[in-house]
Amino acid sequence: MSSPILVKGLSVSYDRKRVLSSVYLKIDEGKLIGVLGPNGAGKSTLFKAILGLISNVNGTVEIFGKDIRESRKRIAYVPQRDEVDWTFPATVRDIVLMGRFPEKTLWQRMDEKDHQKAKEAMEELSILEFADRQIGALSGGQQQRVFLARALCQEADILMLDEPFVGVDITTEEHIIRVLRKLSHEGKTLLVVHHDLTSVQAYFDQVILLNQRIIAYGDTESTFINDNISKAYGAQHTIMLEAGHTR
Amino acid sequence: MDLLQVLQEPWALRALIASTMVGITCGMLGAFIVLRNMSLIGDALSHAILPGVVVAFVIFGYNTMGFFFGSVIAGLLSAVAITWIQHNIKTKNDAVIGIVFTAFFSIGVIGISAISRTGVHLDLKDFLFGNVLGVSNEDLVMTGSVMVMVILSIGIFYRYLFASTFQPTIASTMGIPVKIMHYYLMLLLSFSVVAAMQTVGVILVVAMLITPASTALLLAKRLPKVLVLSGIIGFMSSISGLAFSVFYELPPGPSIAVTATAIYLLTAFFAPENGLLAKWFRRRQQEQKIKAEDLLKTIFKISLGNVVDQTILLEKLSLSASKLKQLIQPLKQKQLIINTGPTTYQLTDSGRKQANDLVRAHRLWESYLVSEMGMHADDIHDEAEQYEHLLTSSQVDAVDKQLGYPALDPHGSPIPSRGSSIKLSLNQLTVADAGAISQRQPGAEITYKLWALGLGPGDAFQITETGDHFMLKVKDQEIQIPALLAQQISVEKIN
Repeated sequence: MSSPILVKGLSVSYDRKRVLSSVYLKIDEGKLIGVLGPNGAGKSTLFKAILGLISNVNGTVEIFGKDIRESRKRIAYVPQRDEVDWTFPATVRDIVLMGRFPEKTLWQRMDEKDHQKAKEAMEELSILEFADRQIGALSGGQQQRVFLARALCQEADILMLDEPFVGVDITTEEHIIRVLRKLSHEGKTLLVVHHDLTSVQAYFDQVILLNQRIIAYGDTESTFINDNISKAYGAQHTIMLEAGHTR
Repeated sequence: MDLLQVLQEPWALRALIASTMVGITCGMLGAFIVLRNMSLIGDALSHAILPGVVVAFVIFGYNTMGFFFGSVIAGLLSAVAITWIQHNIKTKNDAVIGIVFTAFFSIGVIGISAISRTGVHLDLKDFLFGNVLGVSNEDLVMTGSVMVMVILSIGIFYRYLFASTFQPTIASTMGIPVKIMHYYLMLLLSFSVVAAMQTVGVILVVAMLITPASTALLLAKRLPKVLVLSGIIGFMSSISGLAFSVFYELPPGPSIAVTATAIYLLTAFFAPENGLLAKWFRRRQQEQKIKAEDLLKTIFKISLGNVVDQTILLEKLSLSASKLKQLIQPLKQKQLIINTGPTTYQLTDSGRKQANDLVRAHRLWESYLVSEMGMHADDIHDEAEQYEHLLTSSQVDAVDKQLGYPALDPHGSPIPSRGSSIKLSLNQLTVADAGAISQRQPGAEITYKLWALGLGPGDAFQITETGDHFMLKVKDQEIQIPALLAQQISVEKIN
């Protein structure tokens, strides 16, 4: 059985600046995985490289043993919320239906089944009541749920979420993590770029600690330890984290 | 000149058909150009086709198909040049566009003047401002083909165009050929620009591309509707612009462009949701609501639910009698306040309830700012003064719940519960009612009188007697208060 994501010797540089340096990763299937590291550690770059969005990379990425170009349907990406034009003339339903695009050839139209799947995804994230609203007329938390609903609608086996909890209210955060858990129980593999170190233990089965290279990858309990955290973040973050725990 | 008569002329009919087709084509395509922030590229492309026209003229003479292919090739060349420079040379994106299109355009102008020196005449003006009245049947076929191609392309590649316009990154992860769509759109854009050159000329093509589309974007919230509307607006601008130009003998291209702009301005002002007028009206309504609610709250605080004389209100609010009357009118209409006499007012039950809810929203928001946002109690009043008008009752309830149903606000005043009008004057209580002295009294003299009687803010009491005087049982002690004073003391009823 091939791993959902297999990264071999991945290195990425922008303008001669090394962002990722010989990354090797064999991701376990069906886990909810936190991707952690300080700003500039290359988290987003790692995501983009896995998704085949960067052209000049060294090394290889395999999705279920195949090249990304052959496995696009099986992988869904939820980008950061601030990268979106919220004035765009599209409703929540339009966006969620985008999740069905990879299924369709050029000549196929959206059918009843697609609309049903979109409806189920919106229901799952409690945004069905906003289905016909323009996306700009939503709160931050609702907007984030729209993109997660699109990923659900895509029925991908791998979901990659870039900072889904930034700028959302606590209720949405709980809602999203509940849905992510459910997905991982269904056997989906989920990678989540995450910033708040205090909630790592509560949220993730596994963590990847990254700082230009892989510092550690494994079960949260054995991997998310001070030794590794300080290697990734530098010593002062460990102290901040401990202060956070005693609060 | 009679318009109907003019339309029977073949040249006029051809002009009409050509410009409506251009209106529809540019309108629909323009929606994507605007949404992709490519307006400047549209402008650039339209100018950059000029050298293509010149070269085609030298090779093929005055030939529609020659012009068409020459223009398209020049347009695509400039698009490729722009994209290549943007990716490979460190110059700002819009500067690159400016550099490329002025260079292409200038080469074209130099070419035209060089040709005319050989004695052959190619009219630069026709290319700059169009010559819709000189449209040939061949031109019509070309323009029609471009329109069909644009509409079919949008229909077939709709999902690709939608996804790659909205989120290019996501579109890539879905396997949509984003780069190819970009160049395909450039190709369609070149086609449309050439088609529009005859009607409005290269300088004004960009008006046909971005003005109808921007108008449609003010009106519709879904892309399919934007595309259709934009096409319709482009069509309408063309027809009416052309009609104006024939009727008043104006240059056709500029008439069409000005008509499109007029429609845009009308929409910007009168659009039902996003229009300036609608926004202004909503803001004004909100302001009036705030004014009315503030007045209601003030009267509530002054009157404590009793009959209050106009003179007291005038003094406390520092208003003129006519101004007060004008402000109070909307409250009377909503039956929140009634005249009990020619110059006396009293809040109705629903008026008291609404005022009470405002106080509740204000105090809960203050509590929220202090306990959840960590603000200092001295800095919160002004913000709460605004939010009390904006929060819906369910939002207020949610704040209440999140704070754990606090009893007092950060200033120590009690927070009333929903709908209950607990802030009253003492004389409105009856025997056996329990209450507490309010934090804030109508005036310093009342606070002083209470203090003299041994009563302080927050002191709980029970009424044992009413009538000429009120007997209050405070702890194990009884205090007597004259009825006249009781009317002025603000208390909170405890249930």
